Amino acid sequence: MTELWRLGLGQAAQGLAKRQFTATDLVSASLERIRLSEPRLGACLAVLGQEALDRARDLDREGHDPSRPLWGLPVSVKDVFCLKGAPTTAGSRILEDYRPSFEATVVRRLRAAGAVIVAKTNCDEFAMGSSTEFSAFGPTRNPWDPGRVPGGSSGGAAASVAGFQVPAGLGTDTGGSIRQPAALCGCLGLKPTYGRVSRYGIVAYGSSFDQAGPLARRVDDLGLVLAAIAGPDGLDSTASGRPVGDYANVAEARPGELTLGLPDELWAADFDPLVLGVLERARRELAGAGVRFKAVPMPNLRFSVATYYILAAAEASTNLARYDGVRYGHRSGGDPGLLALYRDSRTEGLGQEVRRRIMLGTFVLSSGYYEAYFRKAAQVRRLIQEDYRKALEGCDFLLAPVSSIPAWPFGSFTDDPLTAYQLDMMTLPLNLVGAPGLSMPAGLGGGLPVGLQLMGRAFDEAGLLSAAKALERILPPLGDPPGL
Amino acid sequence: MGIDETTARAVAGLARLELAGTGEGDVRALVEEFSRIVGYMDILAEADTEGVEPLYSPMVDPEPPRPDEPALDGRKAEDILGQAPERVGRFFSVPRVF
Repeated sequence: MTELWRLGLGQAAQGLAKRQFTATDLVSASLERIRLSEPRLGACLAVLGQEALDRARDLDREGHDPSRPLWGLPVSVKDVFCLKGAPTTAGSRILEDYRPSFEATVVRRLRAAGAVIVAKTNCDEFAMGSSTEFSAFGPTRNPWDPGRVPGGSSGGAAASVAGFQVPAGLGTDTGGSIRQPAALCGCLGLKPTYGRVSRYGIVAYGSSFDQAGPLARRVDDLGLVLAAIAGPDGLDSTASGRPVGDYANVAEARPGELTLGLPDELWAADFDPLVLGVLERARRELAGAGVRFKAVPMPNLRFSVATYYILAAAEASTNLARYDGVRYGHRSGGDPGLLALYRDSRTEGLGQEVRRRIMLGTFVLSSGYYEAYFRKAAQVRRLIQEDYRKALEGCDFLLAPVSSIPAWPFGSFTDDPLTAYQLDMMTLPLNLVGAPGLSMPAGLGGGLPVGLQLMGRAFDEAGLLSAAKALERILPPLGDPPGL
Repeated sequence: MGIDETTARAVAGLARLELAGTGEGDVRALVEEFSRIVGYMDILAEADTEGVEPLYSPMVDPEPPRPDEPALDGRKAEDILGQAPERVGRFFSVPRVF
């Protein structure tokens, strides 16, 4: 029998249905992989070993339930999802001792579908970062090269999936935090349409951008997870009531019937030659299979980094005002006085990058600068959304790179935040627009994974998955990370 | 625009943060970096937004608010109060303000 930890989500579900192995076997195999690989990867902030085993045994005792599509399947969730009674730090010291008294809607839905949560994965503090180096609890390492970052902010989730700890993980994507680490680690990641998935119980960063979604090693597995977590929620009025598609059973698109728009501004970036080589080869392979391409101008994308960082920072400064040392989280024992309590608790509990973004957000919202920065950025956001709509006229999806460089060595940009922000330019537009997109491996360049990104129309996740299945068949599989 | 230390300190005050680094000379470096980031944002001045309605949320179809009824999810006041770093009986505790 194949080693159980190698199985994808759908494959494992079939094995469980055929009684080839038990949920306990599968969860044990995942926990053993975590035990063996964690010293190298550092993907997990908490491993819920006993709880996961207990749950798997309960499931086995109850017997296989075909009405629960994730029955007995081990998954990881990023440490921004509230799990009742379990650590939920969001990668921050300020939440080190926090134990939520409630569960995120997506966690509740994963469990209702039969999934077993085995670990909470590492991330940049409050999901602010693109390398997982800004986690207060240490970095996660890239499965392909432990001297390099896994991307971020869902870097732990990507490493846990690409490193075969779990067949799927849940992340969040505010400016690329699912798609970029998936690309840098060599797995797939889906950011659903804003409003497709409930945000209830997710530690908030930028509330008009945040969206939860799956990371996995197969397109089909993304669909399995999305089908389980999508849909309206009485606890989040931004979660849409539109019918949930049959994401777990989409037909593969025919390459000859696909026209993909190539946004000029993203393909004209200053690429690392190794990345460019992989991207060009992938485009040739897709064209060879019959996919048609169409160059599409999106002139306002040159403003997307400034637009995103103004708006997301503004939302972050508002959302993170709740961390005041009073109701939960770290409380400073320093100077007396209420204002000093706020100031010292926040300064001690929050990391440098988070404080930087709160400062930026506070500045752009402050009297005298609101119009020139915050309102202006919201207007440019509208222009970018209009560019996106026009770009999709006459094509089915947009195709773009995910990152202009492969996974980078630790410390490359930690002292240069502005350059780090600019590296996000490929992934930010989708969040500004609120549309769905996914990243998938395009090949290896210099031994490191390079990703491609498909972007679609709002609420057309089914179409996106269908096209991705066609691309998955054409593009070369990456194989295993070395040292697996 | 550039940001000087006075402005940066005022912003930090509004954000309830100390403008602090880890060592000597850090404050100046923080201010310079903050100034550089804000300076980059000025690129937006080049965008023609005359008459453009701001887009604050990409939400397509907001759901109506749920009925105004207490949540019956079994949570008790103690679940919330139990998270407080300091409390007095049934209350969150803060330093005296007068």
